[in-house]
Amino acid sequence: MTQVAEQPVATGPSADYIRQLVPDPILTVRDLKTWFPVRRGVLRRTVAHVKAVDGVNFNVPRGQTLGLVGESGCGKTTVGRTILRLIPATSGEVRFNDTPLFELGRGEMRRMRRNMQIIFQDPVSSLNPRMTVGAIVGEPLRVHGMASGSELADRVESLLKRVGLSPEYRRRYPHEFSGGQRQRIGIARALALEPELIICDEPVSALDVSIQSQILNLLGDLQDELGLSYLFIAHNLAVIEHFCDVVAVMYLGRIVEMASAAELYDNPRHPYTMALLSAAPHPMPGRKSERIILRGEVPSPMNPPGGCPFHPRCHMAQPRCGEQVPQLEPKAGQDGHVAACLVTE
Amino acid sequence: MPSQRSANQWVEAWRRMRRQRLTMFCLAIIVLYIGLAIWAFTGVGFPDWDKGDYTRNNEGCSLQHWLGTDIQGQDILFQTIYGTRVALTVATVAALLAAVIGTVLGTVAGFFGGIIDELITWLYSTLASIPGILLLMAFAFVLKDKQFDLFGWHFRLTGINAVYLALGLTGWVGLCRLIRGEVIKHRDRDYIVAARAIGVSNSRILFRYLIPNVFHLVIITFSLSFVGYIHAEVILTYLGLGVVDVPSWGKMIRDGGQELAKGHWQQLTAAAVAIFIISYALHIFGDALRDALDPKLRGEGI
Repeated sequence: MTQVAEQPVATGPSADYIRQLVPDPILTVRDLKTWFPVRRGVLRRTVAHVKAVDGVNFNVPRGQTLGLVGESGCGKTTVGRTILRLIPATSGEVRFNDTPLFELGRGEMRRMRRNMQIIFQDPVSSLNPRMTVGAIVGEPLRVHGMASGSELADRVESLLKRVGLSPEYRRRYPHEFSGGQRQRIGIARALALEPELIICDEPVSALDVSIQSQILNLLGDLQDELGLSYLFIAHNLAVIEHFCDVVAVMYLGRIVEMASAAELYDNPRHPYTMALLSAAPHPMPGRKSERIILRGEVPSPMNPPGGCPFHPRCHMAQPRCGEQVPQLEPKAGQDGHVAACLVTE
Repeated sequence: MPSQRSANQWVEAWRRMRRQRLTMFCLAIIVLYIGLAIWAFTGVGFPDWDKGDYTRNNEGCSLQHWLGTDIQGQDILFQTIYGTRVALTVATVAALLAAVIGTVLGTVAGFFGGIIDELITWLYSTLASIPGILLLMAFAFVLKDKQFDLFGWHFRLTGINAVYLALGLTGWVGLCRLIRGEVIKHRDRDYIVAARAIGVSNSRILFRYLIPNVFHLVIITFSLSFVGYIHAEVILTYLGLGVVDVPSWGKMIRDGGQELAKGHWQQLTAAAVAIFIISYALHIFGDALRDALDPKLRGEGI
């Protein structure tokens, strides 16, 4: 891990609002930065950085769900993988139950992995095609030496049952299953170590709508039963609305708005959130809301625009938005509702 | 959803190949050749074909010598059968050596990347830029009759050992490149990320995840390159760099070629036909194996 800049962690008012919003966190993320170097030329000199994650703060509530929303390329997947140390962080601090993850040694981190697992978006590539379902689901237990022989077989069978699959499937290979079934296998693998936190990286985006609700219901049931905490990454606000307790909206590697789910949907205070909400289809056919169309493309995270990163696409932009960088600050509405906008109240 | 018990890729491939008559016929030919080679190896019941009888050299076909005799009066049929032994051992050892080197270097390069990858890529690019047969000749020439001590063992590279080594040391490039590319493709897949998230060690990721996912390529390359090694051994021997002390097809072609002008065609023909049949069978079988193991590669040459 390369320290790009020594910065005080968990400073400023934003940390207070996060505590106000999520008083009992299982995971705290403070000023997390993940920059990827861009190398050019024969000498492979670093000419720039892609700031995939650029100073992100949030808490994941214990036994509840934090939704992380944003367009493709906003860095939400990188946040999830950086937390699990699958990608090295550039700077920042992540604490799981008050244990700073980035300071753990190899062996300590390996043991820590029992407590946090991940579910992937693509049900095809997330399962090893050369292992049987039983071997895939049993792998975490075997690797951590938690079960072997007939005990392992029993645990695998009960895990498969728990996610709604027949225990007989354990001898089959992943290619014999549908997308929804594969996603259940992935969930069974994540549950094997009995983690407290699961990072769900767009777990339903690749599935049919009818299957999406089944998987969401399964995740909800598991949360109620096992007291799991989720960091739920998605690009679809409609999916998140009923599933999450707290929602953070990301744009270009930063969080632009954060509030409890109901508050965010009723009272969005950032123009980007408003645009995302207006894009979601309404269940009531008669009611038509005004659609906010975002102009242009997401700017390159290598060369983000000056001032507010969103201002070139914003429908409420004013001249000062191009000069001043907005910070997360409390907005009108519920306590703990924060947004990074110079215009809205 | 298929039947109750599901098969792994090898059983599945075998099932697919079982249905193809030509493939099974070629497999039978390959098995026959292996049987003949083993027969020549053990020598049990193998006739004394190599006791040259100079009074009866260059004979035509007869009941005693089905394919006649050569210039030294040796039986051509059994000379050909004996040649199977050299051809198959050289090809097997060379193909195994190339498969091991290619797989290890390819996997390591693809998995670890960085400076290790650069070094291995540089090595195989350099080897690949030299014309194959020249490189092979250079290796065979340098290795021939070399003596060295390794771990207390004394080695002398007689003709046949030099051929093994020369073929194995030059033959791994194609496989290495293939494996490296495939490993890079698999390395960033979610199932590898999932394994890391679980806490699976690097060596287990290599052996339980990556190698099983590229191993069919090793088998396919092994079977398709096998023919090439048989040919290469013949060519090297023909050029005088290979096996000189043991009867082999290359030696038969070399000797028989000189006799052809005098009208003695049996020796040359016997070796050529023997090479043709095993080449044909291995090609058809290797193609079928490739199609059965990796349908995406269908129609591509390796």
